[in-house]
Amino acid sequence: MVNVVWMQGATDNGCLVSFLNAQQPDVYQAIEKLGVEISYQNTINPSSGKDAIETLERFITGKDQLDVLIVEGAIPRGPNGTGMACFIGPRSFAQWVSELAPISEYVLAVGTCAAFGNIPAAEPNPTDATGLQWHKKEFGGFLGKDFRSKAGLPVINISGCPAHPDWVMQTLVAVLLGKKVELDAYNRPNDFFGEDITVHDGCSRNDYFSFKVAAEKFGDKGCLYRNLGCAGPHTNSDCNNRTLWNRQSSLTRCGIPCHGCTNPDFPEAYMPFFQRRREVGDGWKVVPYIIGAGFMKLAKPSRLKNE
Amino acid sequence: MNEVKIMAELDLSPITRIEGHLDFKINVENGVVTDAKAIGALFRGFELILKGRDPLDALVITPRICGVCPTSHNDASARALDNALNASIPENGYLMRSILLGTENLMSHAAHMYVLFGPDLANKKYEGHEAYPELVKRFAPITGTSYKGAVFARIKLDEIFAIFGGKHPHTTFVPGGAPVRPQLNDITRALSIFMQVQDFLENTTLGCSVERWLENKSLKDVVSWLEEDEKHANSDLGLFIRFGTELGFHKLGPGPGNFLSYGVYAQADGKNWLPAGFYDGKHHSLDQSKIEEHIRYSWYTGYEGGRHPSEGVTEPYYEEGEKYTWAKCPRYQGMPVEVGPLARMIIDKDPVVLDLAKEYGPCVYTRVLARLHEAVRLAAKIKEWLLELDPGKPFFGSYDKVSNAEGIGLTEAARGALGHWIKIRNGRIDNYQVITPTAWNVSPKDSNDVHGPIEQAVIGTPVEDENNPIEVQHVIRSYDPCIACTVHVITPKKSYHLKVV
Repeated sequence: MVNVVWMQGATDNGCLVSFLNAQQPDVYQAIEKLGVEISYQNTINPSSGKDAIETLERFITGKDQLDVLIVEGAIPRGPNGTGMACFIGPRSFAQWVSELAPISEYVLAVGTCAAFGNIPAAEPNPTDATGLQWHKKEFGGFLGKDFRSKAGLPVINISGCPAHPDWVMQTLVAVLLGKKVELDAYNRPNDFFGEDITVHDGCSRNDYFSFKVAAEKFGDKGCLYRNLGCAGPHTNSDCNNRTLWNRQSSLTRCGIPCHGCTNPDFPEAYMPFFQRRREVGDGWKVVPYIIGAGFMKLAKPSRLKNE
Repeated sequence: MNEVKIMAELDLSPITRIEGHLDFKINVENGVVTDAKAIGALFRGFELILKGRDPLDALVITPRICGVCPTSHNDASARALDNALNASIPENGYLMRSILLGTENLMSHAAHMYVLFGPDLANKKYEGHEAYPELVKRFAPITGTSYKGAVFARIKLDEIFAIFGGKHPHTTFVPGGAPVRPQLNDITRALSIFMQVQDFLENTTLGCSVERWLENKSLKDVVSWLEEDEKHANSDLGLFIRFGTELGFHKLGPGPGNFLSYGVYAQADGKNWLPAGFYDGKHHSLDQSKIEEHIRYSWYTGYEGGRHPSEGVTEPYYEEGEKYTWAKCPRYQGMPVEVGPLARMIIDKDPVVLDLAKEYGPCVYTRVLARLHEAVRLAAKIKEWLLELDPGKPFFGSYDKVSNAEGIGLTEAARGALGHWIKIRNGRIDNYQVITPTAWNVSPKDSNDVHGPIEQAVIGTPVEDENNPIEVQHVIRSYDPCIACTVHVITPKKSYHLKVV
């Protein structure tokens, strides 16, 4: 039996909604076959009020052992340092997190809000919100650089707006099996967010990108990068590569530019979302890229066009 | 016993099995609720974050107000921009938006019936009832057979959504139509997945075909439907119709008795499939200029009385005094109003729901049945919309680049009326305002000390066992509150915007 507490702070519940779409394993298999016991989760909890609070108190007072704490949502520290922009029963969300995180074997930040602060922490950050162990690209966040869960690990970040259910489930399964999860520079599982994986990988519009056929407006068949602000080549996650969304598709396949939602600096760094982006990404060799692009345009097969 | 006045203040915080952060405090005297406070427990500040941004950025930011009903924010933000940027939308564009929003609303209704509200049918209060073993078997949280079926039907609806929207939650709508270019095989795939959802709806929820249920045009028809076949009577819906009154759901939670709908599922002919309107015993047309928000009991400051959203101010002000919630307080013509499927069905003059409301009034029973009835109508409609898509024609039209404009986007989430108001100055967002459905339903007292709809509905509720105030929870959950959503709004000057509850 593995106790899981899923706490929601400054969130829209989207990561939970997304998690319920998990299929390998699905939520039922996780409960029945892997022994996951969801001890507290606001939206699916059978009990309300003081019974619900009592479950949490049992962990805090050490009567029950907390195995996995999942945090969804940013942590507001305002207004005026009270943390009361978000509260659950008798405590601010910030206070719940400070009590539950240190007594948990593993702490998972699910979604870009919990990992990096996301929209609630975007300028002007009205509630002084932050991520669990990061504030945007800066290490520290709410729990501080030195925080380690009981298993000796920092907060494991599974970003995304929302996080893909597979990213959460596979990480959870790996942890339950006692496997070491390799983390990237932002403490995210390398498998899903490593620097060698981008949303661009596996995009159905890659031919259009290669031969520089750029969509001029929404609904065009071309690549969304040049004119419509697609952040796919600058965003580390496997949305198009292996997992897809809801086992069906992805934003870029449906004509919607990637907004960069798994990145620590989402959303500010990607706004305005739908405008022409600088042509060259970090680490790209500018001159060869531009020369190459010119040649690729000349090499364009006639089948590639916007209409 | 009768002579002794028994008073208790119950703290039902947190209210779980709703979407988001809601606390509730009630006073109980002699077994009846005498006062209630609905406490929205989250503020984020979306409109403030939008101020000064590119107008199209609202398309990506506002859906993140709510991960449960993001598509209603997709629709509202796109419609506000359609309006501000003079968009022209092809028929496929309207259909595609309706399919995506309808799919999400149907999913929300399924989640409400089976994951949020349904588990209360298995509450120990009903142990003595003959139907109890069956209610537990079907509706118990996680283990219930219907609960489990609904969890998987939800996943299927999300798959249909993702075929056209890329992912659920959080696709992006655009002014001028839809950015997707579906092929015929996408449509046939969606229809095939939809059949799996329909199987659940027909075999588990209804015990009959969608078409058969929709033949019912009155309460009398519903009674004959029950008697027509054992499968009907023993379906989840049949069970709820038969035992709902025995469990007393028709006597719980009347609320204010005023209903509002903005209208939803816009069509190319300029009409909505479900119309807009206001009902206070009589049908009236909607006049959005009659909407105002109050903040006397909300943690905001800056003005007194009510203000139209386009003039709204959102300046957070947290204190432990008379104010008690992060939710603002919207009123229509100065009155608290109920929004949601019951309001939509009444304003649409749906004969079955009008009959139900006439017989039982607004109450938990009527509200739950109106939601299920709307879900069945919606299921039939989604299939029609899918068949009407024409992959040979455009899905996106056009919009203008405009530096100064205003736009209003009104639509309906599963749980009720959602409005976005945008002001664009010099090509940037000058003011963005959102009033969510749950802000209407879960609003606190207004400047005149009149309680919000759910507070009103809870006051007067009998509580048999103070350790198990399940009656109050039925009432609250019957509105399907979505607190993540109760955002609030805006700001003109510099300051804050809120998100709320």
